[in-house]
Amino acid sequence: MTILETRGVTKNYWLGNREITVLDAVSLAVAQGEFLVVKGESGSGKSTLLTLLSGLDRPDAGRVLIEETDITDLDEDALAPLRNATFGFVFQSFHLVPSLNARENVMFPAELRGDRGAAGKAEALLTRVGLGERMSSFPHQLSGGEKQRCAICRALINDPRIIFADEPTGNLDSANGAAVLELLLELHRERGTTLIMVTHSPEIALRADRVVTLKDGRIVTDGPRA
Amino acid sequence: MAPVLNLRFIARQITGAKRQSAVFVLCVALSMITLVSLGSFSRSVQSSLLRDAQALHAGDLIIHAHAPLPAPLQAHLDILALQKRLVCARYYEFYSVLRTTSGEGSLLCNLKVVEPGYPFYGRVLLASRRPLSEVLTPGSLVVEQSLLDRLRIHLGDALRVGNATLTVRDVVLQEPDRPVNFFALGPRVFVAAADLGSLGLIGAGSRVEYVTLAKVTQPKELDSLAADLRRVAADSRVRVETYQSADSRVKRFFDNLLFFLNLSGIFTLLLAGFGIQSTLFALLKEQERTIAVMKALGARSRFIIGHFLAVTLALGLAGTAAGLAASFALQGFLPALFRGLIPARVELALSGWAVSEGMLIGFLVVLLFTALPLYRLKEVKPRAIFGKEEAGSFWNRSTWVIAATGSCFFLAMVLVRIRELKTGLFFIFSLVGLVLVAYLLAGAALRYLRTRNPGNLILRQALKGLFRPRSATRSITVTLSAALAVIFTITLVEKNLDASFIDSFPPLAPNVFFIDIQPAQRDGLAGILGTAAQFFPIVRGTVNAVAGQPIDPEQERLSRGDNLAREFNLTYYEKLLPDERISEGKTLFRADWPDQQVSVLDTVLKMHKMKLGDTISFKVQGIPIQARIASVRTRTEGGFTPFFYFVFPKTVLAEAPQTLFCAARIEKGRIAELQNQVVARFPNISVIDLTETAAVFGRIMGRLSVIVRFFTSFSMVAGILIVVSSVFATRYARIQEAVYFTILGARRRFVLAVFAAESLILGITSGVIALGIAQVASLIISRRGLDLEYHPYPVESLLLVLATALLVLCVGLAASLSILRQKPVSFLREQADE
Repeated sequence: MTILETRGVTKNYWLGNREITVLDAVSLAVAQGEFLVVKGESGSGKSTLLTLLSGLDRPDAGRVLIEETDITDLDEDALAPLRNATFGFVFQSFHLVPSLNARENVMFPAELRGDRGAAGKAEALLTRVGLGERMSSFPHQLSGGEKQRCAICRALINDPRIIFADEPTGNLDSANGAAVLELLLELHRERGTTLIMVTHSPEIALRADRVVTLKDGRIVTDGPRA
Repeated sequence: MAPVLNLRFIARQITGAKRQSAVFVLCVALSMITLVSLGSFSRSVQSSLLRDAQALHAGDLIIHAHAPLPAPLQAHLDILALQKRLVCARYYEFYSVLRTTSGEGSLLCNLKVVEPGYPFYGRVLLASRRPLSEVLTPGSLVVEQSLLDRLRIHLGDALRVGNATLTVRDVVLQEPDRPVNFFALGPRVFVAAADLGSLGLIGAGSRVEYVTLAKVTQPKELDSLAADLRRVAADSRVRVETYQSADSRVKRFFDNLLFFLNLSGIFTLLLAGFGIQSTLFALLKEQERTIAVMKALGARSRFIIGHFLAVTLALGLAGTAAGLAASFALQGFLPALFRGLIPARVELALSGWAVSEGMLIGFLVVLLFTALPLYRLKEVKPRAIFGKEEAGSFWNRSTWVIAATGSCFFLAMVLVRIRELKTGLFFIFSLVGLVLVAYLLAGAALRYLRTRNPGNLILRQALKGLFRPRSATRSITVTLSAALAVIFTITLVEKNLDASFIDSFPPLAPNVFFIDIQPAQRDGLAGILGTAAQFFPIVRGTVNAVAGQPIDPEQERLSRGDNLAREFNLTYYEKLLPDERISEGKTLFRADWPDQQVSVLDTVLKMHKMKLGDTISFKVQGIPIQARIASVRTRTEGGFTPFFYFVFPKTVLAEAPQTLFCAARIEKGRIAELQNQVVARFPNISVIDLTETAAVFGRIMGRLSVIVRFFTSFSMVAGILIVVSSVFATRYARIQEAVYFTILGARRRFVLAVFAAESLILGITSGVIALGIAQVASLIISRRGLDLEYHPYPVESLLLVLATALLVLCVGLAASLSILRQKPVSFLREQADE
């Protein structure tokens, strides 16, 4: 079943007085439970595609559908429930709230829903990823790998159906990067979550169910991993 | 070759941090606006009053007395007049009740009985535009319009003045020697001196001001003549002044008012200085990476500090210009603010001196309060590029030295401005005390808030937000609390003053005073009053020495408050008044003391150092009396109830020439009719309706408190600017939070609610701390300073706190609105680029 789809999405940006087309009529459908990697060189439009897929940005042309619902023209408040319950985000720069400790960062999406069991769920997740002793630490007290694990827990606390990961290992050393990737894949398999990941790494691409390659804003290849 | 100042860099620093730069400029402007506009205003008033000092006093020499001049002095004046070295004109000023010929209306008026020649300088402006000398002939009156309005009479109508009937001939619009009349309890009435005898109003003990004006023939003889007359007047309490040395009541009033307003200006300067410092800290923190890069490329600290000093001075210059512009604009508003309190002929203008002083203050304030943030630039290391900072201690030896030096300079500036060492030090200690108390209370409150973990997510996030990195929550709380404490204190003290003097009298307290009653009139008056009335004997006297030390009247008059140089109403009774108690000593008078005794009111101890057992030397109608202080009394209630500074046993003063003073409780509806009856039978008795007096007092207090609150509110603006600066300083963190919350599924209203709750908590915390300080301060001021009963006014206090919370909420939200519009994807993209 298609969980997520784009139909001819185009995105342009202005750089000074030049208009740059970052994505050019890209159409893509993602199946439920799929692990999709979007790869390409810098400037190919892969991060932009991710922001359009996740509703963080709006295309200049084309449509974006989540579970057959067109979200292209939804405003921020209408997108909020999707972001809270349907999506989970993992970023290259972690983007943890600095004034909240690890537990509070993970709990936050659940608390937004009014989940009274948020604290218990957060603690369980953090313990699962090896941060049981670091729950009260603040982001600036965590290492890069610990921050990313915390971010993964936050992305998962509301059992989202889709996880968007934008270069999740980009700021980590190889050991931490590998550990984080394994964690993501393990949780993806366990929960059947659709995982859409942007990456430079060919090694990660080899682990995906499907790889989409972008070049100059267009899909050049789309198929199972090689 | 030494590196050159890079002007483009300086300009870009300013334009790249527009918001913080704007706040910095506003803080500098604020630091000087009050002082420059007050300085200019003061100079305008002083120059208007002094430019025409001769007109302000209506003569070259002014001789004040409370009785006819001593014979030697009068004789000496007559000789000088015969020698044509001067010309004299006397006037007599006193209160009396005038009544219509029908007897249906009467009004307490301020009479001025003038001899021909008055005024020697300036002009009494009449509605008819004719000279006073032409209009004020024997049998005539010249009155203020308000008298005609209140008694419902017209020009040409007659009025009973004492025993005489005089005709109203004209309306007085302006007097040269009374530029403002808000001190008066009744309208002005001019009477010709030729009618003085027929009035029958001046007798022994009457409360009259005897003023002799003199115009000297040779101006260069002015000082020598004044000295000569003072020599002749030596032992008496007659004051001989020249128009240059005389301190008019108006001038004294303005000196005191402006002195106090200057203090509020200095307070605003201090808070604005904190704003300058915190804004610069925030601005430089944002530039930390840039500075780190510059150092990594080889720039020395000196070079970097030099550039940022140039940025600071450029912004300081802009702030100074803005401050001057605002001061100029404020000048246009001041006449309306001070209307009725300043002479009509005052021309308000920005004084060059005040402008120069303002620029110097602006420059010094910028240097003093930016020294620390600029010095700290030395501590930025190149590794800050990687976001790796060492959390070193802010307070090291150098920062303490800089802070101490800055404080000393500020202290010196304040002392120079205030010009009185004792008052200056007292003010500074009070200021430091206020800030210290606010600091400690803010610390305790924030520590408490930090431990709170409310169930509500919005509140919880709001509390976290208060303690986000770089937030200046503590300095905001301290600044707002300190500023608000001053404003709240003024409000609470004013409310207590209103309650004591204006709003209501205690049910049984006297509400009408009768003064200048001759002893023989006592029974007749009691008969008219038909009610229990208290009569107090009044003997006029002066204090000449305390504990053997003679009183120097000139020195005493330098005091801002009441002093021992004036004449006092002495009295005698054997039992305490209902609202008195003894605070020192056992009984009112000591049976075991053989000496003559006196009981003093505790207020007298504030005028001059004295204690139980000291001997005070009085002069009563020229007769010396020594009396030992047997007790000190204190009042248990404030308000307009009768009180006496000096009370003697009956045996000391019973035989002295005296008048009587009566205090009675009269039903409000009966007062006017009673006044008519009393004055018809006893024209010399003045009737003072205290409710009217209270209303006049209330109006003056109201005007003054509006003025004081207006200038004090500038200090609130400093607090608000710090709030705005802090929002800007934490802008990045707020955007970050807002974006993260949005990405995680929070709606915009959630983000707005968190920011709003944060501002509200800040406002309530600051308001509560301010109220706590204000309640204690108001209690002390009311009880100890003003001898008033104190009420805390809980409802009004709560409203003050709520108003504060609302204000901070509005400011915080307004400053945060642009943050809410930030799109998540733009922020994320910027982060990725970094």
